[in-house]
Amino acid sequence: MATDTYDAIIVGSGAGGGMSAYHLTKSGLKVLMLEAGRNYDPRVETPMFNTNAEAPLRGASTPDKPFGFYDATVDGGWQVPNEPYTVAEGSEPFTWWRPRMLGGRTNHWGRIALRFGPLDFKPKSRDGLGYDWPITYDDMAPWYDKTEKLIGVSGAAPARGLLNTPDSPPGCLMESAPPRAFEMFYERGFKAMGIPVIPMHGAVVTGQMEGRNTCLFATPCGRGCAIGANFQSTTVLIPPAMATGNLTLRTDALVYQIDLDKAGRAKGVSFVDRKTGEHHSVAAKSVILAAGSGETARILLNSKSASFPDGLCNTHGMVGRYLMDTVGLGVTGQFPALEGLPPTNDDGQGTEHTYVPWWGYEKQKELGFPRGYHIEIGGGRRMPSMGMGGLLHDDDLSVGDDLRANLRQKFGSTIGFNGRGEMIPNDDCYCELDPTAKDKWGIPVLRFHWKWGDSETSQAAHMVKTFLEVIDKLGGTPQGKIETDGKKAISKGGEMIHEIGTARMGHNDADSVVNQYGQSWAVPNLFVMDGAVMVSSPDKNPTLSILALAWRSADNLVTLSKQGAL
Amino acid sequence: MSANSPETGPEYVSKVDRRSALAWIGVVGAAVAGGAGVVVYGPQMGGQKVTRGYGTDPKLVKPEKAPWSRIMIPAQLQTAAILADFILPASGAAPSASALGVPDFVDEWVSAPYPDQLKDRPIVLTGLNTLAPKVLKTSAADRAKALDALRHSTDPATQKFWKRFRRLTIGAYYTTPEGFKDVGYIGNVPRGSDPGPSPEVKSAVEAQLKTLNL
Repeated sequence: MATDTYDAIIVGSGAGGGMSAYHLTKSGLKVLMLEAGRNYDPRVETPMFNTNAEAPLRGASTPDKPFGFYDATVDGGWQVPNEPYTVAEGSEPFTWWRPRMLGGRTNHWGRIALRFGPLDFKPKSRDGLGYDWPITYDDMAPWYDKTEKLIGVSGAAPARGLLNTPDSPPGCLMESAPPRAFEMFYERGFKAMGIPVIPMHGAVVTGQMEGRNTCLFATPCGRGCAIGANFQSTTVLIPPAMATGNLTLRTDALVYQIDLDKAGRAKGVSFVDRKTGEHHSVAAKSVILAAGSGETARILLNSKSASFPDGLCNTHGMVGRYLMDTVGLGVTGQFPALEGLPPTNDDGQGTEHTYVPWWGYEKQKELGFPRGYHIEIGGGRRMPSMGMGGLLHDDDLSVGDDLRANLRQKFGSTIGFNGRGEMIPNDDCYCELDPTAKDKWGIPVLRFHWKWGDSETSQAAHMVKTFLEVIDKLGGTPQGKIETDGKKAISKGGEMIHEIGTARMGHNDADSVVNQYGQSWAVPNLFVMDGAVMVSSPDKNPTLSILALAWRSADNLVTLSKQGAL
Repeated sequence: MSANSPETGPEYVSKVDRRSALAWIGVVGAAVAGGAGVVVYGPQMGGQKVTRGYGTDPKLVKPEKAPWSRIMIPAQLQTAAILADFILPASGAAPSASALGVPDFVDEWVSAPYPDQLKDRPIVLTGLNTLAPKVLKTSAADRAKALDALRHSTDPATQKFWKRFRRLTIGAYYTTPEGFKDVGYIGNVPRGSDPGPSPEVKSAVEAQLKTLNL
């Protein structure tokens, strides 16, 4: 690696890193991308049509592969070997999902690609809670358009004009696959409750798209996609960036520090090679952090100097603050009405074909909690797993032909309702450096602090109430123990793998770490282009917004570069 | 054979192909392939047991056999075969659980070094040990009686074993292509488009919705 020719070093290769590399290299900038994990090629590493019977333990979840054997996560999960993190004493639980592979979490993500809406950028102006973004939906809309057209998103439908649930302009989306039997079925239950069901926006190529393969409507997206029919940084962003000849990629490079020159500008980064343990420093005209909100904050906090004794960009103690996740929980129902349907292929397009957007924006006062949630709903006759026996009631003793008949009858008759809701940032949720714990290479690790607010636990309780109501309307029975207390039913912090907001954007250096383009207030050639910049955590899953924000920020960096400002 | 005479029935033969068996020898360093497709497992041979998992970066496209040594002894394996076939005997075109190698899978499961499997290990092995004398080398009638007693037992430990073993058998069976066919799973095939449910499926759902007044 030549050390003085790069216009930018990008730390991370997921949604933010991949998108910024795509735009910078296409714009002619020379880029060095540093990825902490190993190289990974979905074209040859994706177990597309494997059955569970081919996998150890029939593909069941283990601590080595927490989302199952075939999940597209390498060397990671809730724990990464040699790279611990801690949770502060007295904190509520927090858990942190990290892979160590090129493309990061874009390899296994849920592909749900919902735009944030106008209210999501100005939540404080609406109800006085949380914080407003320094940008509006109108600032973001053209970048959402471009991003959807680039990555391939399904969910086209006639404009509905639902509040804070943006319709993409014509030409941005492809049509989703038609609703499956269980989706037709639940739609009617929600309709009876006055709740809308609309096409999901999924990052899956469901129609003809130039340069891309169309979905095969067969295998789970969480395994990744060998034909690149869904969005992964490793199939959609990094290959075209490499094709420009402007991208140099180095994997197994665990960045731990931003290096400054005497003038206080970023001159590069230092990293440790995970394989050899050797330390290296590389230089560039600018540095972009896109390591994921936790890791980005960790690098800033570990970059200490006389000017920044508490970590880079942390003069006002803002780094690591306002850590957010998504509120989550699920209830499953079993429905006699879906029993014994004629065999039908429910594999679908990977994402749900339809979903429930938040319907209560104008009823928040009467509902008793300030922010909403959408509902992701899974079901159908999916490839059997080790959970197959769970279809039967616990008291079912059948064997032989009776057992076979019972399973055939119940197969595909359950539906899982999963709420995904907005969290309001609070002072009790943040990360900092652990005063003593270090990773294998002696680098201080993060310590997390977490506490859900009443806004979130009340919302969680409402989710349970809604799911029980729709299950009842559809003649079903809830499965397993139902927890109606929101404080107990709510997910763990970090469990939804939407941790964002540790280096948020804002109007000035006293209330934020970066400006609206991810440019840090303290170091003008240092940028953040991942979920760390987010100011609020709407119910909509963050990846599409991370991509769109990264593109917008990278475009600004190109302008600065052309102006000679870097 | 009279109902009271001892009946051993056909021995369960591990459904392990020779290539896998040889691969295991390489991995385990102690197993011996004894005849066509029959594997005698590591501990039986006094070899060094392998207790590691498959790690955080296993090969996914062509998964390797689980690296850990199998711990079930022949009597447990034979008992597992009898019990698995009591739960899912052959029926028409559908093969029996043992024909699909379910006992080997149970061995793989209870031998695994992961928390869920370690929790199942004593439940399954103790259950099999308790059941073995009642079903091995006994009359068909005694065996049927013992299996039925197991199924309807009210003893908590016995019930726990029954439920767990049955769940493992169902999971192992229905994750195979033969299981897909039996339960009516017709996916995992590439398609040029997803046409959605057939008119027949749609009308069946509509009929149900009507009865729910929806």
